Amino acid sequence: MVNYAPKTLQEALKLRQETQSVPYAGGTDLMVENRKDVSYLFINRVAELQQVLEDEAYIRIGSGVTFTQALENKLVPELMKEAVSKIAAPAIRNAGTFGGNLGNGSAKADSVLIEYVMDAKIRLLSVNGERIVDVDRFYKGRRDLDLRDDELIAEILIPKQKIEKYAYQKVGGRNALAISRISFAGIVDTQDGKIKRIAAAFGAVADTVLRYKEIEKTMLGKTVEEAKELRETYIKAYMDNMVLTRGRVSAEYRKAVCENLLRDFLELI
Amino acid sequence: MNFYLNGKPVSHEGDPAARLLDVLRDDFDCKSVKCGCKEGECGACAVLIDDVLYNSCCVAMGSIEEAHVLTLEGFRETKQFAALSKAFGELSAVQCGFCIPGMVMASHALLLKNPHPTTDEIREGLSGNLCRCTGYNAIVNAVENAAKEGDGLW
Ligand SMILES: Cc1cc2nc3c(=O)[nH]c(=O)nc-3n(C[C@H](O)[C@H](O)[C@H](O)COP(=O)(O)OP(=O)(O)OC[C@H]3O[C@@H](n4cnc5c(N)ncnc54)[C@H](O)[C@@H]3O)c2cc1C
Ligand code: FES
Ligand code: FES
Repeated sequence: MVNYAPKTLQEALKLRQETQSVPYAGGTDLMVENRKDVSYLFINRVAELQQVLEDEAYIRIGSGVTFTQALENKLVPELMKEAVSKIAAPAIRNAGTFGGNLGNGSAKADSVLIEYVMDAKIRLLSVNGERIVDVDRFYKGRRDLDLRDDELIAEILIPKQKIEKYAYQKVGGRNALAISRISFAGIVDTQDGKIKRIAAAFGAVADTVLRYKEIEKTMLGKTVEEAKELRETYIKAYMDNMVLTRGRVSAEYRKAVCENLLRDFLELI
Repeated sequence: MNFYLNGKPVSHEGDPAARLLDVLRDDFDCKSVKCGCKEGECGACAVLIDDVLYNSCCVAMGSIEEAHVLTLEGFRETKQFAALSKAFGELSAVQCGFCIPGMVMASHALLLKNPHPTTDEIREGLSGNLCRCTGYNAIVNAVENAAKEGDGLW
């Protein structure tokens, strides 16, 4: 198998277009998968993908930034850091990257859950130019991404935002002994006593991350008092909409866990 | 493929997708690097690459061009190792020993970043290293002692 080890982004994009190679960032998912007869495109030495930058509108996290690097970076939002700090253990956080977390298309990807509630956009590059896609459009389904054969994930663009209150929970572990895992992230902001924004998403319960913007809208503009009254209706709407994949633990049990996570979150209002 | 192993320049011909773990054990006779799971879960295969801790079962050879790989075989020659070894011995932190090379490399990586860790920070630093025998407390205490007695080495 061939060794593609570009040093610059331009070289990497060219190789991505010209070869059938599989992008390799930190390898923590790929090496466990252990695919046979693949040629990797080793992008772990491409410095341009390893920066965290800031412009007027966004915090821009390079796809090759590792979780450890993010935890040590001042620009990365606290909510993201909280989720990332709970990923596995140091050796995995030292290798695992934001691009790789997205690249699997898994509903369990912890940084992706935060990208959902923070309305992140994914910046994709190819030799032909760039595309910028909302994260929930990029993630089409289980292992199904809006990523073309000649594209690399270049950056995660997180809109700059003031977050008043947030909740992040990861229930259960990933290791061999833990039978199930559910993750939840929610953000709620008020202004002049009214709900200005509410965003909630569940990870690891279905084929993809679940967020229901339609249900969120029913809370917008409500006063805090009204929102409190609405809590149970809101929870019921979620429970009616959520279809969970069957796992080793019954879907009913996991739904009950989701309900509790949502209820705890709404206590923040 | 060229890289440095325990300070010496070496080269490796072969599949760039091969696991560093297998190459270290089979081609470079670094038998301290243990294989417990090949899934990144146990830490028995942990090594340092450019002073950062990685599980070598999750590293493909093609990703380490020009990098410095440190295994226990090289680390054994250092004063830092002597401090850790003494502390592990004094506190009987070793039982069957299978997890210990990985534990020692993880401890070294932790102390390089944070020479005076709290107990919680030690637990976090070793959280990717599974041990079936000791119940961890003796290991955590050993790292605490090594940090104290080896003060200035990291
Ligand atoms: C023991 C263990 C524990 C774990 N725990 C967690 C956890 O708690 N939470 C969690 O979310 N994940 C966890 N993971 C999964 C994994 O560590 C993460 O998904 C990580 O972010 C993967 O990043 P990577 O750079 O290692 O990806 P790689 O393995 O290098 O790549 C993963 C996929 O993404 C593609 N890819 C990578 N970069 C790009 C790019 N720039 N453009 C296009 N495609 C790209 C690759 O082709 C591949 O398909 C764990 C893994 C292990 C082994
Ligand atoms: S063998 Fe690498 S982590 Fe278990
Ligand atoms: S001493 Fe036996 S596994 Fe740790």
